[in-house]
This record gives sequence, C-alpha cells and structure tokens, in this order.
Amino acid sequence: MFPGVNGFHWTFGHILFVSIFCMVGLVILTTAIVAAYRSWRDARLNREPRIRWQSDFHDLSDRERRCRHMLSGETKSRLCPNAFECRDCVTHPKFVELAPVAEQMVPVETYGMDFPPENYYHRGHAWVRPEENGTLVVGLDDLGRRLIGPPDHVELPAPGTQLENNGVAWRGDRNGVSFRVLAPVEGEVVETGGPDKGWYLRLRPVANKPTDLRHLLHGYEVSGWLRDELDRLQMLLSPEATGPSLADGGVLMEDLSKAQPGANWDKVMGEMFLEP
Amino acid sequence: MPSFNDRNLIPRGLERCSLQGFALRLAPWLLLFAFGAYCIYLCLRFGLNQTNMDNRFAFGLWIFLDLTVIALGAGAFFTGFLLYLMKWKALKSVINSAVIIGFVCYSGAMVALAVDVGQPLRAWFTFWHPNVHSMLTEVSFCITCYLTVLAVEYIPILLKNRKLKQIPSFLVFEFELHKVIPVLAAVGTLLSFFHQGSLGGLYGVLRGRPFAYREGFAIWPSTFFLFILSAIAVGPSFILLTTKLAEKLSRKPLVRGGVYQMLGKTSGVLLTVYVALKSVDTLIWLNKTSQAAGFTPFEFYTFKPFGTWILFAEIVLLGLVPALLLLSSRMRARPAVLTGAAILACCGVALNRFVLTIQTLALPTLPFDEFLSYFPSWQEFGVFAAVLAYGVLVYAVSFRYLPLFPDEKQLTAPVETEELEYVSRS
Repeated sequence: MFPGVNGFHWTFGHILFVSIFCMVGLVILTTAIVAAYRSWRDARLNREPRIRWQSDFHDLSDRERRCRHMLSGETKSRLCPNAFECRDCVTHPKFVELAPVAEQMVPVETYGMDFPPENYYHRGHAWVRPEENGTLVVGLDDLGRRLIGPPDHVELPAPGTQLENNGVAWRGDRNGVSFRVLAPVEGEVVETGGPDKGWYLRLRPVANKPTDLRHLLHGYEVSGWLRDELDRLQMLLSPEATGPSLADGGVLMEDLSKAQPGANWDKVMGEMFLEP
Repeated sequence: MPSFNDRNLIPRGLERCSLQGFALRLAPWLLLFAFGAYCIYLCLRFGLNQTNMDNRFAFGLWIFLDLTVIALGAGAFFTGFLLYLMKWKALKSVINSAVIIGFVCYSGAMVALAVDVGQPLRAWFTFWHPNVHSMLTEVSFCITCYLTVLAVEYIPILLKNRKLKQIPSFLVFEFELHKVIPVLAAVGTLLSFFHQGSLGGLYGVLRGRPFAYREGFAIWPSTFFLFILSAIAVGPSFILLTTKLAEKLSRKPLVRGGVYQMLGKTSGVLLTVYVALKSVDTLIWLNKTSQAAGFTPFEFYTFKPFGTWILFAEIVLLGLVPALLLLSSRMRARPAVLTGAAILACCGVALNRFVLTIQTLALPTLPFDEFLSYFPSWQEFGVFAAVLAYGVLVYAVSFRYLPLFPDEKQLTAPVETEELEYVSRS
C-alpha cells in the first residue's frame, strides 16, 4: 500500500483512508500531549495541593459533602458544589443574608468536647485562631484529638513552607494507620508546635491579603456540624450488619482508637479527615 | 519471615478480603492462564497444525471468541459515549468498570488474533502491506487505535490507586488526563462504530458464501449495520452483568439500582430495534438474496445440527424475548428478570457471531461440496481459556486495588437513607 511497496500507486481511496487514520492517531497523540503539558504546567505553578483537594473532594461521599447550611438546619438538603470554599460560593452570602443569627444569642452545644468559641473550624477537624500579632494558630480540634489519641509519629511542614487552603497541613500515624490533616487556611508556616503544645502550626497570612475565614465554621454552626460528625463516627464504628447501635448521650472518650481497636481505623481516619 | 500486607494499596474505606484469600481465589485462574500461555507457545512455535482448522475451515473458535468479546466490549465505548457526549451522568458509577472490561475484551481479542494470524513479529505487515479491498484492513487499523484509546483511558483509573496517587506528578497527570477523556470517548466512538461495522461487513461481502452474503447500502452490506446495532445493544447488558457478578462475588452493593434500570432499558430499546431490523434482513435474505444465488428458503437449515431452531433461538429466544423483558419497566424492576434478560441478550450476540463464523463455513456452497464439521483442538481451547483467565485476573486485580465503583463506599456505609438534592460535583 505504501511507497516502497512493489506496484504501489496512490489513489483517492488510499489518501482518504490514510488521512482519516493519521488524523485519528494525531488526535490521540495530541490529547496525551496536552494532558502531559498541562501536568507539567501545574507542577511548575505548584497547583498540586489544589488539584489533590479537588480530586479528593470529588471522591467524597454525599454525606461528607453536605453544605454547612444543611448541617445548621438552614436548608433541608444541599451538597457543597465548591469544595468547601465558601468564599467563592454565590449561595453562601444569600444564606447569611436570609438567616442572620445573632451568634451570642444561640448556645453552642459541643457535646462535652472542648470547642472554644473564638476558634474557626475546618470540616477536616483543624481549627484556626487569629492572634493579636496577625499570625494564625492552627490546631487539631477536640474530636480529631480524641479520635487519634497520642499519635506515634507526626510530620510537620518546615517553617517557610507555603500552605494552601485544603492542602495537606501535616501527616501522622497511629497504630499503623496513617492520617493527614487539611490546612484550614492558606499561609506561610512560621513556627511548628505539636500534640503536646495544643497547637500544630503558626501561619503568617498571605502577604497583601486580609485574612478571610468566611469558609470556616464558627459560633452556632459548630453545633450542627458536630452532631453530624458524631453521627458519622457512630455509624463508622458500628458493625455493618447492625447499623448504628451505640447508645446516645455521654461524652466521646479519649483515645478512641485504643479503646476500640477492632474498628476499621483506616476507614474511620479516612472519612473523618476527609481523605477518600 | 515478614508477611506482606496490601491494605495500603486498597482504596480507603473499601472492604476487601485478605490477601491470602484473594490469592487463593485467583490461583485456579492463574493455573488456567499458565496452561493457556503454554498453548499459545505451541501455536506460535509449531504453527496452525496445532489446531483443527484447515484451508477450508479457516475461521474457528478464536474468531468466534474475537467477534463475541469485541461485541460485548462495546459497552466501554457506548457507556463513554452516553456519559461524556450525551451527559447521562448516572453512568459515572460504572464507567471505570466499563473501560476495564473494554480494555480486557479488546486486548484479549488482540492476543487471540495474534495467535490465529501467527508470525507476531510481522504484525506490522498489516499496516504497511494492507489489502485495501478487505474489511479486515479497516478492522485492524480501528482496533489498534481503539485499544490505544482504551489503554490511555485506563491510565487515570490506574493512577487513582491509593499509593500511586500519593505521587504528586501522577495525581496531576491523572487529573489533567481525566479532563480530556471526553475527546478520547468521541474518538473511541468513531473507531468502534467503524470496526464493529466492518467486522459484520466482512461476512456480508462474502459472495461465495450465500449463507452470509447480504445486500446493503452503498458499499456496506446489511451486516455492517446489524453488527454495530447488536454490539451497542448488548454492551450495556454486559456491563450490567459484570457489575452484578462483581456485586455477587464481593457481597457488596456497588451501584445504585437506577443505574441497572438505565442500562437495562438502553439495552432493551436498542435490542428491539436490532431484532426488528434483523428480522427484516432475514426475510429479505431468505426470499430474495439467497434465491438469487440459487438457494431455496431454508435450504441452509437442512444440515444438522444447524436446523431452523438456531434461527429461532437467535432472533426470538435470545433476541425478541430479552428485548421485551428489558423494555417492560415492570419486568425490569425484578432483579432476576433483569439479570436473566441481560444473560439472554449476551448469549444472543454470541450465537449470532457463532452462526456467522462457524455455520457459514460448515455449510456447503458448491454441488460437490460437503457439510463440514469442526471441533476445536485442546490447544485452541487453551488459548480461549488464557484469554478468559487473563480477563478475570485483570478485572479482579483492578477491582481490589482501584476505585472501580465510585459509589461503593457510600453504598456500603451504614448510613441512614436520606434523599439528597444532587448538586454537580464539577
């Protein structure tokens, strides 16, 4: 058929046939090259944390993606379409406008756990507290702390590291089960703490950008979210066949992974820390 | 001796059996694959004398296998077409599985074809010295390109593995590749449309075989269109069946019931159209085409065991019956009926490919010709078994280590059933 083959002559049919298949081959090749080029560009622009979170969020279950306004009872059902980035959400301000709750008036139920009202909470169980010197202190909330217990190993980012909102803030493991905690806010790490200090990171906010914590849960919203989280945890720790069967009430015990070693902690850590 | 634990390779939140249990279940398939690999070696080393095919009966078990798995594997391109181009979002829950089934089917068919054609080192001859008058030229070009597309579509699923996605460059590449998948889905649809058709056209143009010869439209015999239609009709049924089988074996719900209904209904509608056209085609062939070639109606069916029962089985029992069952929403709602109808539909397409391959070659065409019988040699069965075992192994390993069914985690979690408003995840 092709040049060099004895008796070959180009005809319209040959040209059409070869053209179509060259075009198909070219499309496949171009598609692969475009994907490779974009990956290279993403790596160069350090977009990996954002992409990782988008990918993880995409894989979360419907329950894990519930909108904060659903958890607080402001709407019956709504899933978050913005990867928990309420600052970019067009609906969030409308909810705030429609239901302006005077935060001081509503008692915050924290189910016996320590959730200081001045902190801002991320759905992945990290908290942020703005300090007077302009820095942001980041820690693990009380539910996360009780879940993990004293970690066997913690891997904190070095000072100077730039953290992205929803990027990995730190990693750790307990009893052979690894976990990672998402950064609740963007900023540069200026100091590291640890489990014993009660906080993990001190961040300097992104330069020339006022600290915006609207995407984090605060005040009255914490109650609804915590109730849902405790429900989720109860479901996760229940045997599959029976469904939720733990008695309601009481306070979540300390070092839960030690107290219930038979549970699938890999699954529990993954779901509670939003790592599908 | 330290024991290897693969827990960190299994997607988080998914329950899988122990590694030992998994290995034990795969062992028979590995043995079968090893036996098949030996048969492949024998065929490639000593040639086609290892088979019961000859110059007169040149198409046998392997071509039947090729045609059947390529038809069943059509679920991959058709699901991709419906999801990415027609925006049937619910099919997202089976697309990964469909891609792997398509990849397994096409790569398995390529292996069987390579053994059948022989001389694999000269495979490039197909592309440099093709017979441009043969439908097979178009088939080989299309299948090669489509297998490449399937391999590229498999990559993002592979990179979703828990360990692999920890590597930043893999994660980013998977993300970017996923964004361009609709382009590949469109290319796959184009390629599949033509090679499914050309495989049917291959038989339809056999003037010397009046049993297979058909008239048609322009250069394409009617079998060209019927092969496309039958493939896209049973593709969703095969996806349905494999998913049900995976559910049965893993004892876990993997997709929502609505997805099964959607696949079943799609299959039902297309199968109905196919059966109608196939019936018209058969009537034209019996009353016009074959008579023009000097054959009276039903003369082809006087050779046992290929009596008229095979025509009835192909069109009515394995065509019309599953089509009607899948069309009826009341019948489709019963899981046993849905599964049974899907099995019948898949068997129907297999029988159609069997008839066109084996029955066509067995029937005499000239006055001095005789009815031939053919039974595959054990080496041929061995190659068949190798392809089957290869498919099971690839699918089983993928099921264990890759998130094939995105809804699995949610469906297996003991949460309350609450209807949530669906918001796009984009």
